[in-house]
Amino acid sequence: MGALLSLRGVGKSYWRGDSEVRVLSEVSLEVGAGELVAVWGTRGSGKTTLLKLAARLECPDRGCVYFGGGDMARLSQAQHSRLMLERIGWVRRTGPKSDLRMLDYVALPLLAEHGRRQAYARAAEALERVGVSEHAGQYWSSLCDGERALIGIAHGIARAPRLLLVDDPTANLDVLERERVTELLRSLADEEAIAVLMTVPDMAAAMRAHQIASLGAGRLIWAPEPPELPELEREPGKVIPMYGRQ
Amino acid sequence: MSAKIAVLGLVIEEPGPPHRLTAKLRQRLSSAEFVDSNVYSALSRLERDGLVRAVDGEQGETPVRLAVVPTGATARKVPTRRTPGARTDSRMFEATSAGIAHFEEWLLGSSSAPPLRDELHMKVALCQPHNLPRLIELVYGQELVCLARVQELRRSFQRLQPPAPDRWSGLVLVHVRDAELSFWDARLTWLQGVRESLERMHAAYEGATRRYSGA
Repeated sequence: MGALLSLRGVGKSYWRGDSEVRVLSEVSLEVGAGELVAVWGTRGSGKTTLLKLAARLECPDRGCVYFGGGDMARLSQAQHSRLMLERIGWVRRTGPKSDLRMLDYVALPLLAEHGRRQAYARAAEALERVGVSEHAGQYWSSLCDGERALIGIAHGIARAPRLLLVDDPTANLDVLERERVTELLRSLADEEAIAVLMTVPDMAAAMRAHQIASLGAGRLIWAPEPPELPELEREPGKVIPMYGRQ
Repeated sequence: MSAKIAVLGLVIEEPGPPHRLTAKLRQRLSSAEFVDSNVYSALSRLERDGLVRAVDGEQGETPVRLAVVPTGATARKVPTRRTPGARTDSRMFEATSAGIAHFEEWLLGSSSAPPLRDELHMKVALCQPHNLPRLIELVYGQELVCLARVQELRRSFQRLQPPAPDRWSGLVLVHVRDAELSFWDARLTWLQGVRESLERMHAAYEGATRRYSGA
């Protein structure tokens, strides 16, 4: 089966005055249905830019982004909006702009398409799926970081997306909260065949992923398979050509 | 940390034969890269120092080994007896009270910081501009090594399916794994920064060389 999301040779630069800041160079990645891919990187390494390019919230300077085999550059604005509404979920760390009850927050984006009753039923279902039904009546400001992370995921999956983009879901979480969040994301991939692309600030958050890559100095580098390790340690520079698996 | 103290800790946790202790050591402290012979020599030294003792059926769990019955048709489990010159692998080890006291003293004592002496640090410190392309390759290769180690940890974590981290036994495994991962996080961060700088320096050096050649 082909990849649901595919980035091929994608590059992105920003301009700071006269100087070009290259954020991503020749980045290629694929995420299939039921697959959890973790991209590790430090702050400012371009992780959020990568997710924005994957959702085509930003346009790449070079390369192509495909969703379900189709080039996203060919979509009209209306088609892209439709795709974002129906197929792509974005899990954000920031909550609602005003302090809402969590059930209202998760139901809000569903109201435009579904009736009020159905929107609230789906929101309740999403909260239950991530295991935080008991917080449905609570406000964002009263929740701890771990609960907010789970509510963010409920918000992202409420519309039953095929692709879930998750930006640093474990930032500021303690060990138990981090394990709970990553276990949930893995179960969404395994049990509901959602393709999940998540960025992580530390490798501990990537332990449940199917694939791991690091992003830094503009390059995405995939973790090699273990049999390559002894050879790598003997001749690190020769075994795999620079940026070989792009 | 020595294999001796690690093996003593495992024996205190649960008496067992060397092969089982070896497997547990690998699972618990994979990053330390202990080998089988470390466990056997550690047990010999611990026994010599009176910190562990070999036990037989009367004193502890009866160790068993597979033995061929006289007909030779099938194997059955028979209790082992401690006999002089017997293979170390068939013996069961348990901690003595002196061993428990020694381990507690180590556990509660202060921990030393490891020395930081890395060959790549020296290469970066001593490289010349004409070495930059090869040094960039070496840094990239080291990034791959780090990622391969992380990959190994990920695979072993997913294969072992450790207890949930809300249980003590699961939580300590996660903490030990995280200690190793923090090391790879830090090294990757450093390597990426070095690679970025070296690539920038190399581009500047190449540009300057071209300008000089063209002048």
